[in-house]
Amino acid sequence: MTAPTTTDYAAPRPLPPGKVRTRRWVIALVIVVATVWSVSGLQVTLDRLLGAPGDAWAILRQMTPPAFSEVYERGALGKILESVYIAWIGTIIGAALSLPLAFLAAHNVAPHWVRVPIRQLFNAIRAVPELILAVIFIPITGLGAWAGTMAIGIHSIGTLGKWAAESIESIDDGPIEAVEACGGRWASEMRWAVLPQVMPNIASYWLFRFEINVRASAVLGMIGAGGVGSELVLHLSFRNFPAACAVLLMTITVVLTIDTVSAAVRRRIIRGATGTGDEASRSTEALVDLTGLRR
Amino acid sequence: MTLTAEGPTRPNRPRTRPLTYAVAASLVAGTTWAAVKVGFDPSTFWKVWSNPLWEKFWPVPWDWVFDGRNVIRPLIETFQIAIVSTVIGCGLALPISFAMSSLTTPNRPTYLVSRAVMNVVRAVPDLFWAKLLVTAIGIGAFAGSWALSVFSLAVMVKLFSETVDGADPRPLEAARSAGGRHAPVVRTGVLPSVFPAYVAYALYVFELNIRASIVLGLVGAGGIGRVIEAQRQFFRFDRVLGILMIIFVAVWVIEHVSVALRKRLT
Amino acid sequence: MVIQLEKVSVTYPGGVEALRGVDLTVDKGEFVVIVGLSGAGKSTLLRVLNGLVPATSGSVVVDGTEVVGASAATLRRVRSRIGMIFQTFNLVYRTTVINNVLMGRLSETPAWRSTLGLWPAPEREIAMQALERVGIVEKAYVRASDLSGGQQQRVGIARALAQEPSLMLADEPVAALDPVTSRQVMGDLQRINRELGITTLVNLHFLDLAREYGRRLIGLRDGLVIFDGDIGDVDDAIFRDIYGRDITAEDLLAVGGEPNPPTAGSPDA
Repeated sequence: MTAPTTTDYAAPRPLPPGKVRTRRWVIALVIVVATVWSVSGLQVTLDRLLGAPGDAWAILRQMTPPAFSEVYERGALGKILESVYIAWIGTIIGAALSLPLAFLAAHNVAPHWVRVPIRQLFNAIRAVPELILAVIFIPITGLGAWAGTMAIGIHSIGTLGKWAAESIESIDDGPIEAVEACGGRWASEMRWAVLPQVMPNIASYWLFRFEINVRASAVLGMIGAGGVGSELVLHLSFRNFPAACAVLLMTITVVLTIDTVSAAVRRRIIRGATGTGDEASRSTEALVDLTGLRR
Repeated sequence: MTLTAEGPTRPNRPRTRPLTYAVAASLVAGTTWAAVKVGFDPSTFWKVWSNPLWEKFWPVPWDWVFDGRNVIRPLIETFQIAIVSTVIGCGLALPISFAMSSLTTPNRPTYLVSRAVMNVVRAVPDLFWAKLLVTAIGIGAFAGSWALSVFSLAVMVKLFSETVDGADPRPLEAARSAGGRHAPVVRTGVLPSVFPAYVAYALYVFELNIRASIVLGLVGAGGIGRVIEAQRQFFRFDRVLGILMIIFVAVWVIEHVSVALRKRLT
Repeated sequence: MVIQLEKVSVTYPGGVEALRGVDLTVDKGEFVVIVGLSGAGKSTLLRVLNGLVPATSGSVVVDGTEVVGASAATLRRVRSRIGMIFQTFNLVYRTTVINNVLMGRLSETPAWRSTLGLWPAPEREIAMQALERVGIVEKAYVRASDLSGGQQQRVGIARALAQEPSLMLADEPVAALDPVTSRQVMGDLQRINRELGITTLVNLHFLDLAREYGRRLIGLRDGLVIFDGDIGDVDDAIFRDIYGRDITAEDLLAVGGEPNPPTAGSPDA
């Protein structure tokens, strides 16, 4: 038998690596300390902690049955649609403004001195939440849907521009060289070599941003920038819980419907672009892409 | 290659299908309708700059901004909300994600129910949760933390359960063939391979929470947003701008730390 | 008597019949090699024994316990006594070797302890001994992904050994390995069979490996047992029955410097 007789094998057992263990404890300790410190700052009394589930349950009970007919007569459906309009037009504004900027922000097609300031612009825009933008716009445009649309449109430039620039950076550079070899200008390189490669991805990003914007525009109504949020705030402040519940359920239904339809369209766009493939892995990939998480 | 008139006939240019026209037309019509409804007014883009209100944004009253009680304390409260909600949301997300993945779910009913519930929870915008909880359990950071916990839970399970779906199923088979119970089998067979992704997502959710916690105060759920809301009602936009600058710097620092941590993980 | 199969059939949801009325008895301490084309039902046969694939009909008795239709708890108890080794190793590559081996102790450890990763000292000891038996204890705290293929399969064997099994199932354990490591792994399996008296069932593709290490050979074809007997009795005709064709060089592992001329069958490359 040529196999080694490993039963007499007497290698010493290794000691557990202490470093990893120490690091784990340190990380755990940091998390615990941070949590305790944070909780201490939130004015949580035991009284409140124990009372909270009961209070939440009491509200939940007062919410049933939802008063659909009441809120329908008050025009809640129109308000929800207004939220969808705001999201749609806001997305279009964001898409239209971000697309040209994205080409100027991608390192493989734009010079350094253009790219860096535009990247910083994207980052700056992303750092300001829609609600804050709306707070700034309302005194200028007045209360109403247009303030919300502007806020969403401007905020969308940040994320859409960043995602689009990243997908431009991940293209195959061969076609650019080919257009260059034909004597094309920078603009024709972008139009014929880059755009066809990235358009399916970018279009699906637009749709994904639209899904996010529907939620965002619903929220904007809460400070008077148009849409369904004002209805919810109104009913909740008058403690008209059945009506608030109805508005909430209608919003959930519309949001879920839009999510489902949009996700289906996105899948088709992406599948059409890259041929057949494993569906599950692609959706994870897209999600990782969209959230900006690169592993 | 010779360019001659011989050879097969040229194909006709493919016609655009009527359905394509119909979809395009309805998109244009729908967009126009929506634009009218929201009061589309491109003049805002240039009117914005000539608006007299801008004067109210300047100069920034730095004395007021740097007085600890005005901005810094509420900002710290904001980050405390974000930390607590990240810990609660991501902690709860771990078991729920495993229940929500077809690979690791204990049984079919758990799978379906957890997916349905989480989809509904995710359909409710974050500030709706905040407003609901403020109404239910009172104004302040306490309600804000709960709202943000629910929100982070919904985001986290979505991200993480997709990772679990894509995990290698073979170690799971090995653990199962060793005769373990469900929870330990998942713990030893799947968790090690998806844990780095979990930590990365948790940091990402923390970044989201930092951003989300800033606006919580606009609906009475504590933190710096409360100060912004108060100052804008007094038309003190100079102070608002000062607060925004502080927030900008703080968020920038936190994000860079978090991104650096995420990079080290991979 | 350790294993008894009676009229075992397996039909997959797609309608594929993987096993068709298999009768089989394996005694304690035997080293059985199962050969057959891919799709002949070899993997299914092994997985029926520990219930990873439920038998559609028939009876599977392992160590006196009926596996077909057994409750989840019974199934776990049966599995805890059966070690399994996989073609693709099925390790968790992102964690350490010792954590992989400890998976073999899942059935003996309280759920809360294994879930929290607080393995009791005796269980750690068993895992360490299993690693010592396959000769890679020095790699205990190395990440599984940092090992070579042969070492990874040894971790797989150690994991199975850590179960302290009375039956070992090996599903094409060397298919992903080079010839030299293949022999080492087969040698490990044979030694474990001899020294610990663990009944061993191995799926193999290579005939010469089967001949070198096995004593009893079972030939499967289209879900039926075509041959069951002493490995020395296998001749050309039986081989054709099992594989549906003549023996070729692809069916042999024959390593350079250690020629293993097949006694039955002539290679025609």
